[in-house]
Amino acid sequence: MSNKDRQITFENVSKFYGEVLGVNRVNLTIPPGITSLVGPNGSGKTTLMNLMTGLLCPTQGTIRVLGVPPDQPEALFRFLGYCTQYDSFPRGITGYQFVHSYLRLHGKTDSEARDLTQHALERVRLTDAADRKVAGYSKGMRQRIKLAQAISHWPLVLVLDEPLNGLDPLVRAETIALFRSLAEEGVHVIISSHILHEVDAISDQVILLSSGYVVAEGQIHGVRTEVEEHPMQILIRCERPGRLASRIFEQSSVVEARVHADGKGLLVRTRDPDEFYLALNRLVLDGVDLESVAPADDDVHSVYQYLIGPDGGSI
Amino acid sequence: MAVYKRSYHGYDGPQTSEWSRFAIIPRYAYRGLFQSKIMTAFFVLCFVPPMIFLSLIYVADNFASLAQLVQANRVGSPITIDGKFFLNFLNFQAGLAFILTAFVGPSLVSSDLTNRALPLYLSRPFSRAEYVVGKMAVLIMLLSLITWVPGLILFLVHSSLMGWTWSIDNAWIAWAIFVGAVIWILIIALLALALSAWIKWRIAAGALLLAVFFVAAGFGEAINAVLDVHWGKLINLMYLLETIWRQLFRLEEGSDITAASAWIVLGLICWACLALLGRKVRAVEVVR
Amino acid sequence: MNSDSGNLWREQVMAIMRLEIKKNFLARRGLWIYLLALAPVLLFAGHSFERLRHGRVCDLGQDNLIFATVFQFFFLRLAVFFGCVGVFMNLFRGEMLEKSLHYYLLTPVRREVLLAGKYLSGVVTTVVIFGTSAALSLAGLYWHIHPQVVRQYLLEGGGLEHVAAYLGITALACIGYGGVFLLMSFLFNNPMIPAAIVLVWEGLNPFLPAALKKISVIFYLQSLCPLEAPLRSKWAFLAINANATPPYLAVPGLLLVTLAGLYLAARKVRKLEINYGAE
Repeated sequence: MSNKDRQITFENVSKFYGEVLGVNRVNLTIPPGITSLVGPNGSGKTTLMNLMTGLLCPTQGTIRVLGVPPDQPEALFRFLGYCTQYDSFPRGITGYQFVHSYLRLHGKTDSEARDLTQHALERVRLTDAADRKVAGYSKGMRQRIKLAQAISHWPLVLVLDEPLNGLDPLVRAETIALFRSLAEEGVHVIISSHILHEVDAISDQVILLSSGYVVAEGQIHGVRTEVEEHPMQILIRCERPGRLASRIFEQSSVVEARVHADGKGLLVRTRDPDEFYLALNRLVLDGVDLESVAPADDDVHSVYQYLIGPDGGSI
Repeated sequence: MAVYKRSYHGYDGPQTSEWSRFAIIPRYAYRGLFQSKIMTAFFVLCFVPPMIFLSLIYVADNFASLAQLVQANRVGSPITIDGKFFLNFLNFQAGLAFILTAFVGPSLVSSDLTNRALPLYLSRPFSRAEYVVGKMAVLIMLLSLITWVPGLILFLVHSSLMGWTWSIDNAWIAWAIFVGAVIWILIIALLALALSAWIKWRIAAGALLLAVFFVAAGFGEAINAVLDVHWGKLINLMYLLETIWRQLFRLEEGSDITAASAWIVLGLICWACLALLGRKVRAVEVVR
Repeated sequence: MNSDSGNLWREQVMAIMRLEIKKNFLARRGLWIYLLALAPVLLFAGHSFERLRHGRVCDLGQDNLIFATVFQFFFLRLAVFFGCVGVFMNLFRGEMLEKSLHYYLLTPVRREVLLAGKYLSGVVTTVVIFGTSAALSLAGLYWHIHPQVVRQYLLEGGGLEHVAAYLGITALACIGYGGVFLLMSFLFNNPMIPAAIVLVWEGLNPFLPAALKKISVIFYLQSLCPLEAPLRSKWAFLAINANATPPYLAVPGLLLVTLAGLYLAARKVRKLEINYGAE
């Protein structure tokens, strides 16, 4: 299996809905692990996921999911599971039937499908409600049954559109743990979400979208480092921030140092964090007393703010 | 004890009057409807027959002058403008109104039920009755514009050409046009809404509306043929309407059923439709 | 196609049919299709009841003619027609409106296999419903006739062939109209307009020129009917006679039309996109 066959690739992919732009000239490579698609409403996250799963056909460009084009569902969905954002279900179906009946379409025997269904329901903790009609489920339960269906056939690629919507905090934590364990097993988990602190906590890498364009992709730290117009913020906790400020201004990369509101820390903005950390080490060796050093804006939220803006507009 | 700042005030400005609140539904419905080019084109097409009938009235009323123009000897007009003429007009327009209803009606309630949008309406100072009246108004206004409104205009045009005496003597024709059209509109609008609410699916509701008219007519004929009776016509909606129109337009030709029985059946259909709407138009749905 | 994929496709078609047939038969909003099928049964049962009540003389020939008329002018043209509209247009378009079609498209099933599974489920549903209706209607028709007479007619008077022909025609009608309406559900956002056009076209069939008559489903179905039904309409004098197509041409002709419809539908389903917002 070549390296390309272990990745999801988009080559110059565009999708237009008539005259309306869905996504434009997308070039992406998604490796295994948890990848988050982040962007404001209408930025093209769902379009990208639908293109990846063949629910939409690209206007131009090529997509390969582990080497398989999305227009071959018979091959693609052997290893791909997709939990869509659509909150609708076939009429009159129970949770169990919902998972079981579609597993039969994979060519599984009745007993195989039963075992897989049972396992999937257990993983999303929905065994007790399995025989109830899905139409009578709460929003969180509907979300979980969709998730159960998406993971029921043990996919290698799991595409999840807003999977945490409607889940209560406990189930949310369990679901995130499930994603983590799947990613650790080598599954590609692709998640779209608006909840940035959760994305930050679980993602190995992010893809930032705005107005149909990919604004940034890669590991969060790497993306943050490349946003040069916004110097990195570092919060240093210490007893004498004034004295520290006078020392660190000797560094040419430091553009701003502000004493923290409580008087027990310093917020530094630097253009070269690596050089700054080295300098800080030297200061500590010189006897400057520091309590803690932590990046203040090396997260998805900040990257989102810098690249997309607080109003969700495009850059 | 917590102290809350009371800076928020509920809206206490002017509101539209309660009786006109249903009008919000047709206002937005028309905006959506006329975005469809086919719908707009068909609606425009619905005014072609009135133009043709208008030309016929003009020709009939000015036949002598027109005959002189082409130097023809005959002076009597072959077109007679009477109750039958206006009944033919109503027949034409009723057919078009039915097609328009089959196009517009099925989606009116079904889309709200399918998308669970009814609670959005009913969680506001807006009752179920107002909702139904609003949805009915969409069809009533649209269909009125192509049935009794042009019908009465034709009547007025002919009156203006024939004079005051003719108008007074034939005022019943205006009444027949208005009542005949309104009955038709009410029946098809109620049926469309009730089927739309029952089936909750636009396409099936459309199919069912066609089926109610065509299958019922066919089945009525089958009943008459197999059982050798006449009452099969009672389930033929078009025939029922035709019977009532004939009565309204004072046409003597016999019908297989009496006008009274036609009125009773139509009343029962209206009642059944309203009962179905009352049952289906609710903010909650019990999932079994 | 190797035997493995052949087996898989068969299993998948069966799985789709299991899901769809259950939906088709048990959907509460499909109740009207049952009513359509029940109508002729009640009618012929009523006919027999009336005959028994009034003690009228039984005329098998006359009854057969009545059945042929109702079968051709009501059962095929209206009941089966609208039943097929309801079932086959629901298969894809209905799921698009309910926003549940994507669940099928997210399974390892070729789109053509999905189409075949859904179409066959529609055929099974309509054939069972309307086939039963036709059989019960015949039973209702002969109910008032002495069983000995009926047995003699069925076994020695060619009655059994007639019954088989009516059931076969019903099945062919479901197959033919099914293909037409399935294709229409892909071609039009609101398939009611073409359905109404087909209804008018099929209704006008007796009055169409011989060449145009052949471009319809009803023409082939009527050609197969064991008895010719008289056209009882005030416009009957306008009817144009065309030579009936022999069964060895009518059946393959109808199946070919259906296959052509299914082929076009398969091309459409291959490119089908999920865009519920546009519905």
